[in-house]
Amino acid sequence: MVLFEIFDPKAAPRPIGIDLGTTNSLVAYVQDGRPMAIQDCDLEVLLPSVVNYDERGNVIVGRAAQRRAASQPKETIVSVKRFMGRGANDPETRRLGPYEFAASAGPSDANVVRFKVHGKALTPIEVSAEILKTLKKNAEDKLQKVGGVVITVPAYFDDAQRQATKDAGRLAGLDVLRLINEPTAAALAYGLEKKKDGLFAVYDLGGGTFDITILVLDNGIFQVRSTGGDSALGGDDMDRALAEMLLARMGVTEASRSPDVVRLALDAARAAKHALTERDALELELPVAGGGTSVVAVTRADFEALIKPIVERTGVACRRALKDAGVAPSDLDGVILVGGATRVPFVRRYVRNLFGREPLADIDPDQVVALGAAVQADLLAGSGPRDEVLLLDVLPLSLGIETMGGVTEKILPRNTTIPVGATQTFTTYADNQTGFELHVVQGERELAADCRSLAKFTLKGIPPMPAGLARLEVTFRVDADGLLHVTAKETTTSIEQKVEVKPTYGLDDAAVEQMLLDALEHGEEDLDARRLAEAKVEAERIVLATAKALEADADLLERGEKERVERALKGLREATAGSNASAIQNRIDELDHATHEWAGRRMNRAVARAIEGKEVGTVEKSVAGAKGIEAHLAAEGHAAHQDQGK
Amino acid sequence: MVDPFETLGIAPSFDVDLTSVEKRYRELQRVLHPDRHVGGSPADRRASLGKAVEVNEAWRLLRDPIRRAEALLRRHGVRIEEGKEPKPEPEFLMEMMEQREALSEARASADPAKVERLASAVRKREQEVVARVAAAFARAVPGGAMAVNGGGATSGELDKVVPLIGELRYYRRFLDEVSAIEDGFSEKGSAVSND
Repeated sequence: MVLFEIFDPKAAPRPIGIDLGTTNSLVAYVQDGRPMAIQDCDLEVLLPSVVNYDERGNVIVGRAAQRRAASQPKETIVSVKRFMGRGANDPETRRLGPYEFAASAGPSDANVVRFKVHGKALTPIEVSAEILKTLKKNAEDKLQKVGGVVITVPAYFDDAQRQATKDAGRLAGLDVLRLINEPTAAALAYGLEKKKDGLFAVYDLGGGTFDITILVLDNGIFQVRSTGGDSALGGDDMDRALAEMLLARMGVTEASRSPDVVRLALDAARAAKHALTERDALELELPVAGGGTSVVAVTRADFEALIKPIVERTGVACRRALKDAGVAPSDLDGVILVGGATRVPFVRRYVRNLFGREPLADIDPDQVVALGAAVQADLLAGSGPRDEVLLLDVLPLSLGIETMGGVTEKILPRNTTIPVGATQTFTTYADNQTGFELHVVQGERELAADCRSLAKFTLKGIPPMPAGLARLEVTFRVDADGLLHVTAKETTTSIEQKVEVKPTYGLDDAAVEQMLLDALEHGEEDLDARRLAEAKVEAERIVLATAKALEADADLLERGEKERVERALKGLREATAGSNASAIQNRIDELDHATHEWAGRRMNRAVARAIEGKEVGTVEKSVAGAKGIEAHLAAEGHAAHQDQGK
Repeated sequence: MVDPFETLGIAPSFDVDLTSVEKRYRELQRVLHPDRHVGGSPADRRASLGKAVEVNEAWRLLRDPIRRAEALLRRHGVRIEEGKEPKPEPEFLMEMMEQREALSEARASADPAKVERLASAVRKREQEVVARVAAAFARAVPGGAMAVNGGGATSGELDKVVPLIGELRYYRRFLDEVSAIEDGFSEKGSAVSND
């Protein structure tokens, strides 16, 4: 059983990078410092992101599933990424497609679209997890053991879409180290290949999403300046536009569209799109309404006229990203093309005109994202050129809260570098009010109703006091994955508030846990084994890290502290030898507690060393600067404050 | 409240060289970013996250002239808060109102050229006021950098900065609105060609 192989000392787990794409997905790893895509048993690198569920309960992924798409359109989920993190009534889920959706189970049901397949309701998270499982298996065939994973997401994915992707990874049994943005991953692959500093734009037009990212590469640091895009725009839209035309020529009316004929038109359109990158015209033989077939001629000019408005939509986001970054096209040192849809000649011409330069496409645009993800996984696993490379990414869409009258108040503006935090203070509006509801939204629009609803947070347990007296300090923190975390505190009594998170779209932790349980053959038993295995891996990592820290920074330990740390460390070592997961967890917490303050001091030492002797400013070595850092040793690192009384 | 100068370890001054501050910012992130501490203990990871958040915030404050000025004033014990500065001169308010009206008209008549003309006029004035803020700080604190606890600064000169910051906020709001209008124009433009 896979679970116990983790302790096999012979095969070391290898980090991998996964590009979970709308049309195709792939997995890559780093071998001798170079990223490489992993082939499946048919020597193919690209796995079509297609999942078929047969009537006997088997799940088929990839090319074999793709072949069934035409005959089993409702049971074959294509482009599932477009549905990630979306609700059943989202305009995006209601576009041209052959699927049947399951009705929501009631108002308590999380707002997640569900495909109805053989009477079962499947979430996009479960469907995506099947793709990830196949990639994991392909990687295991090649590498024996898979370690930490980096999964890429479109830069413009919002919080719900990111969370859904991470949940899919968990469900597939992957140890997700990090989600990174696709354009940033691509830049990483290019940057390491070319070793050239400068200002770059990454134009990423995939099957279902469009991203534009402006970033600076400086001595191994990839700093994103701005990002923009459209998470519902891509090559699929080109297929749909062409399919609409084909359906009209086939004499199929809106009313007479069956799932089969829609699937057929979409597949013919995709094939035509591919053929038209090389040829100027082609003929398609298509069935017509009422029987028989008819030959439909499609020219490249026809196709380009159809896709022009789609491609032009990318220009809006590009101009805005340039403006947000404060740069002009002429400031750029290069434009990088990513995504299969950038193979379309019209797209390349458009990008050339928009940026006034020939774009770079010398790394395969279908592979470059996965290659970059593999590099990042390698870095995070500690085996890459650690000290040289770092990604600094941004929040793609502003985060705000709904205030009186439904107006959005921004708490973190788009293009803020992550990780980032903001604190806001609220007060009660009624006497003895003990609860408080916050609505968090993401987007740029003025009205909360026009933004994307992320979650409702209920703060409970406020001590009863007159209106306006309670001071609720709510801290929003976006981590390096781009995921939001909320904590709250009542500051007059310093009572930690319970924050109940109800995601607007998506599943809560309990639902994901349940899915995990359902997916395992022996349910509870397997899950326990898995928890123990995970706790042991985590404990071993912490023991190692703490031992290393003792070697380097034992002098920063205060009297009595050292003994406490060593005692906790010994306790954890002993617990790890046993087989009680919760005992291990308790010891981890104990050590964590013992090392908390010391960790802060160590971080400050690292910071002080980084700037030692390197002065910035208008004067020579400033006492203020050096003292400032020292002064900070005392004042624990806290989230940035943006206090605004309300 | 985080002092961005201290967090980044740079000499406090309004006239900072943003290019080298950004370099410093990157060097700090190179050391303390959460990606550098993935293998660390939970305590290490927490410390790294907290510090990385603080450094990101410091860099965000410093590159914004309004926030930079606020941080400097705070070091000298001058507290200002948005909306609580002394009211600008009536002539200034009058003029801003006229400019905003002109902007609304340009929006209503979908006239991007006029929007751009209004915006560039305001941008020019914004730059002039930023230069005046810089000059006021230079006079208040001769020699450029300020001492740790603000000793030696003439508070009279610093008080002159406060209304200028109020003025900058008006320009900022105006330009934010311009930005929203421009986004609206380009989205509408693409929607039209979409049909």
